[in-house]
Amino acid sequence: MATRTLDEARSAVKSACGDVRDAGTSDDVDGVTPSLVARPASTEQVADVMRAAASHGLAVVPRGHGTKLSWGRPPERADLVVDLSRMDAVLDHASGDLIVEAQAGAGLADVQRAVAIAGQRLSVDETVPGATVGGTLATAASGPGRLLSGTVRDLLIGVTVVRADGVVAHAGGRVVKNVAGYDLGKLVVGSFGTLAVVTEAVFRLHPIPAARSLVTRDVATPAEAQRLVQAVLHAQVVPSAVEIRWGDGRGAVSVLLEGRETGVRARTAATVALLGDGATTATGDLPDDWSRYPWHGTPATALKATFAVSGLERVLADATAGGDRIDLRGSAGAGVTYLAVHETDVGAVAALVERLRRTCASLGGALVVLDGPADVKAAVDSWGPVPALDLMRRVKHQFDPARTLSPGRFVGGI
Amino acid sequence: MAAFDDHRPPSLELIGDCVHCGFCLPTCPTFALWGEEMDSPRGRIHLMEQGLQGEPMTESMVGHIDACLGCMACVTACPSGVQYNRLIEATRAQVERRHDRGWRDRLLRGAVFAVFPHPRRLRALRGPLRTYQRTGLDRLVRRSGLLERLAPRLAAMAALAPRLGPRERVPTRVPAVGERRAVVGLLTGCVQGEFFPGVNAATARVLAAEGCDVVVPPSQGCCGALSVHNGREAEARRYARATIDGFEAAGVQTVVVNAAGCGSSMKEYADLLSDENAYAERAAAFSSRVRDVSELLAELGTVAPRHPLGVTVAYHDACHLGHAQGVRSQPRALLREIPGVQLREIADADICCGSAGIYNILAPEPARELGDRKAADVLATGADLLVTANPGCLMQVAAALERRGARMPMAHTIEVLDASIRGLPVNELLRRG
Amino acid sequence: MNRTGLNAVTIAAQRVLPPDAVITDHTRLRTYDCDGLAQYRVTPALVVLPQTTGQLAAVVRACAEHGVPFVARGSGTGLSGGALPHADGVLVVTSRMRAILAVRPDDQRAVVQPGVVNLDVTKAATGFGYYYAPDPSSQQVCSIGGNLAENSGGAHCLKYGFTTNHVVGAEFVTPDGDVVALGGTAPDAPGYDLLGAVVGSEGTLGVATSVTLRLVRLPEDVQTVLCGFATTDDAGAATTAIISAGIVPAAIEMMDALAIEAAEAAVHCQYPEGAGAVLVIELDGPAADVSAELDDVQRLCRESAAFEIRVAADDAERALIWKGRKSAFAAVGRISPDYIVQDGVIPRTALPEVLLAIADLSSRTGVRVANVFHAGDGNLHPLVLFDDSVDGAGTAAEEVSGAILDLCLAHGGSITGEHGVGADKVAYMPRMFTDDDLDTMQMVRCAFDPAGIANPGKVFPTPRLCGEVPGRHRGAHPLVEAGVAEAF
Repeated sequence: MATRTLDEARSAVKSACGDVRDAGTSDDVDGVTPSLVARPASTEQVADVMRAAASHGLAVVPRGHGTKLSWGRPPERADLVVDLSRMDAVLDHASGDLIVEAQAGAGLADVQRAVAIAGQRLSVDETVPGATVGGTLATAASGPGRLLSGTVRDLLIGVTVVRADGVVAHAGGRVVKNVAGYDLGKLVVGSFGTLAVVTEAVFRLHPIPAARSLVTRDVATPAEAQRLVQAVLHAQVVPSAVEIRWGDGRGAVSVLLEGRETGVRARTAATVALLGDGATTATGDLPDDWSRYPWHGTPATALKATFAVSGLERVLADATAGGDRIDLRGSAGAGVTYLAVHETDVGAVAALVERLRRTCASLGGALVVLDGPADVKAAVDSWGPVPALDLMRRVKHQFDPARTLSPGRFVGGI
Repeated sequence: MAAFDDHRPPSLELIGDCVHCGFCLPTCPTFALWGEEMDSPRGRIHLMEQGLQGEPMTESMVGHIDACLGCMACVTACPSGVQYNRLIEATRAQVERRHDRGWRDRLLRGAVFAVFPHPRRLRALRGPLRTYQRTGLDRLVRRSGLLERLAPRLAAMAALAPRLGPRERVPTRVPAVGERRAVVGLLTGCVQGEFFPGVNAATARVLAAEGCDVVVPPSQGCCGALSVHNGREAEARRYARATIDGFEAAGVQTVVVNAAGCGSSMKEYADLLSDENAYAERAAAFSSRVRDVSELLAELGTVAPRHPLGVTVAYHDACHLGHAQGVRSQPRALLREIPGVQLREIADADICCGSAGIYNILAPEPARELGDRKAADVLATGADLLVTANPGCLMQVAAALERRGARMPMAHTIEVLDASIRGLPVNELLRRG
Repeated sequence: MNRTGLNAVTIAAQRVLPPDAVITDHTRLRTYDCDGLAQYRVTPALVVLPQTTGQLAAVVRACAEHGVPFVARGSGTGLSGGALPHADGVLVVTSRMRAILAVRPDDQRAVVQPGVVNLDVTKAATGFGYYYAPDPSSQQVCSIGGNLAENSGGAHCLKYGFTTNHVVGAEFVTPDGDVVALGGTAPDAPGYDLLGAVVGSEGTLGVATSVTLRLVRLPEDVQTVLCGFATTDDAGAATTAIISAGIVPAAIEMMDALAIEAAEAAVHCQYPEGAGAVLVIELDGPAADVSAELDDVQRLCRESAAFEIRVAADDAERALIWKGRKSAFAAVGRISPDYIVQDGVIPRTALPEVLLAIADLSSRTGVRVANVFHAGDGNLHPLVLFDDSVDGAGTAAEEVSGAILDLCLAHGGSITGEHGVGADKVAYMPRMFTDDDLDTMQMVRCAFDPAGIANPGKVFPTPRLCGEVPGRHRGAHPLVEAGVAEAF
């Protein structure tokens, strides 16, 4: 950005929100260096910042703790990072109504701590340590618990957003049952910061279960994995999670059971019987990496593969058909899995993506390249074919006609 | 000109009970077939209201009213208690009086009502009908669309009725066996009486075995059910008055009926004759003393021992017994009392088989589709024997089964009880149908 | 009336649909003049009954081409007038699109046409050990398409969620007449969650022609408990105790004395005699868990002064207990010539206060109110009773009805929990949302339906001009100035 315009923009944004500074290299958004970073303290300040940005044609990228800033595609341009980390408060916990209201910059861990006081939890896994409410909403990040509790999409009951033009809007409310107006919350979830900036969110909560057990069984073939997963799903043990791990030609199926003492005991016995010889049971704390993505702490290419549940065997087989080193982990019960591709040869990765994408599509799902080394991202179609793309572009055009919000990060170049 | 005149139009007050909730739609046979509002109870009530508001009685309105089977499944389903039965009867009478039907329709209806309510004429046709069927004459008669509808149905009745020996007459008085617990009159009916005479005989035997003196007034005729269900009001009233006269003369405390349509109609004599000075009170009293045979047996309680019958039974609720009279649990309880009887429920039991009085003569297409559905559901139970309490249902399902090249033994509920009380072997029952 | 446009659409419809699927006869058209909300009646100009996606899309395309508005209708049982026809428009009825296309228990999915009845999905799945969880009280007649449009709930949504949590994909006809695929068999389809925006959009964004549903495994055990209390306060306290104990019942429903009276008259459910309130509580899940929860629930109800506790001994008893609750609305017709059914939501903890306020309102105005509601999630269904033949009774009832909604909003609730805004509550939208909120929502509508032909007049009080730049209005809205729209 030209220095004169940058100066004008900086002072405009500064009069909207006190905490504004020039960006440094640590503020890169997937390799794109912005000019400014603003840290507003309230929804009103966010609105003022967005208005200032709009009047100066700045491209804005919202950020929480930046744990998933390199997901999706690099932005076409990024002038201003709106950092929500100052808005980190848990605003209200109405434990009698089982709801919590938090600002977008609040860490998931902080929210959990706050609601645990009343023996409740927000049934969202912290898949990336330090994840914020806003970032989780923007990427619709989910972990093992989605099988029973759903994802943020299902748990969000109210939202406050600031539009690209600085207008503040609300949808939903503070009650779980609510069909008044359109469900803007659903639109914003998973929109990668391209529709609006989320500043506040209201979620429904669940009671923390009294007991828990994790039953695991190693599997040697995709067919075996499929058989066991189907057996558990068709039983009536009401699992909180049915997870698959697969890599290096072997894997494991894990079933998480939660509830009251007596109930968990009975269901654990049933699950052990279902999984057969070699099934092990663990109570107490879950393993540290229980909800971590398989690429955590590595430079691997990160994939998300979704598919009809009965297609697990094929997906596992196809993922390793090319002989690439992969680590697959995810909800076999929901048909949502994540892969770390440790292969570095771009051509091989691209071939794997194409092959797996075809498989997932034929199984009613999709394959997305969430993240990866720059050369891989340059060589692949991150998002894949997206039905109704035209309609999505029209929605984007209504919300952000000037394409200032995270342009280029999302599907179809949105 | 508005659709309805001042003589007993459908009641605006009753129409007002409808809150438009739509709970009647899934149980309505015509809605199940065609999926359009006009052929649903909710839609028909709307048409009646339109008529009351001054809309004329158009061809389309009449068509939708005629298409109603009168099965009363909607009455059972309605949470608001809309008395659709009274509404449709009033509307049909208006249609009959004020709408000019085409000549074919008039001729067909005329033929039906010249034959069905007249036991002696039906009897006279039995012989010729057997010949008609056995010689294959029925296949030749396709020319006029009318006879094809009338004759095959009559021929079907002939085919279903057991082979005639000497006609099994029911004596005018059958004494109770053992301690006498009641004195009851028995309606012998028209179609059932002439084509399924075994049913009346079985009824009399069972009632007697359960301690009833059974009185069969010789001068009884048609109860008028077909007439009232088809809007022929004056005719219906005549039959009703005559029936009341006949049973009053016999001096019985209860009038027992073994045909669903007849029982339902007779229980509504009070409404039919409510505006006739000489008959209003008598009709009310009469109606309150009408019982379906299974109802009465349940009220009395079982005393006659039952001998085992090892058989699985699919019980079909005739609409005028289940929906119109609310009699569902009694026949089932009576069947379950028989050792060895296993009862199976038929899927979609609420939906009419398509017989609906003479509906399958007047509207053969939808009747056929409904019959096919019912036959499939009946076969799916895998039962040995189909049991129901209405001759129309029996014939309708039999015809549908035959169309799929299947057969199934059938019997009236009372015949099963009779066989059990008399200790007859199961094969006696399974020979039929 | 756009006569030319309508004629053109009629001709186009007659080209793709069989003759009995295009209704132009006035008497027949009139039978479609309302849905479950019989107070509002509008005769459509044309009714079509397509059987395939292609037929439906062709009609919508013709409407788009000729600028003719259209309204979609399923079984016509909605309670907010969402399927109220447009006098100059086409009513697209899906009741002949009632095929269940697939049931795939291994994927826990079913694919159905929109006219399929809600309960029929469950009936098709039970043989495999699965069922379709959202269970509105009208589930034996309401359609999946209608459920999708309204984001219908039902008694069991407390534990299992609403339609939006059980619809994973849809084939959708946009107001342009294009057929698009939203969502899919697997969750998390990339891109915007247009499906999430469409569910609950009340037919204003288009029409679903095929819906992929999530099936849920039948629970190992179900226990239904009917408890009689002297007052709604006691019943409310019991509810709070249960929720606070960390139990998530499959359903907790409450009915007050007046509602009980109506239900008794209609279906003879034999609820505890003399009860000021009853709770119908259902627990489901694995047997051991349910057994433990059942003990707790009974204890907690007893501690909240329940004078009778009845646990259903078998399916027949369970069905009878539910019958009372599920026929409550229509049953009210027996104790009052007319009534308004409301659908407000309040935070559950505000229940005693709001019920008191409603009772107060009722006694002050002399308008009787029967209360039926989903105690577990604070979704009230006050049934405001009146006799329309009495002068002014209707207006008084409307006022009480509106006052109740205001109460809900004052307590941070919602004007509609499951029935939708439709035509009925359009005037209340500005009481719940700001102009900016409504403007932002309508940006979505502009993206889908710039010409404004999909169910116009529903949900939003003032249509947004779709060519506008987003932003605050200054002065009177152009449509208000033109006399085409009203500002509430």
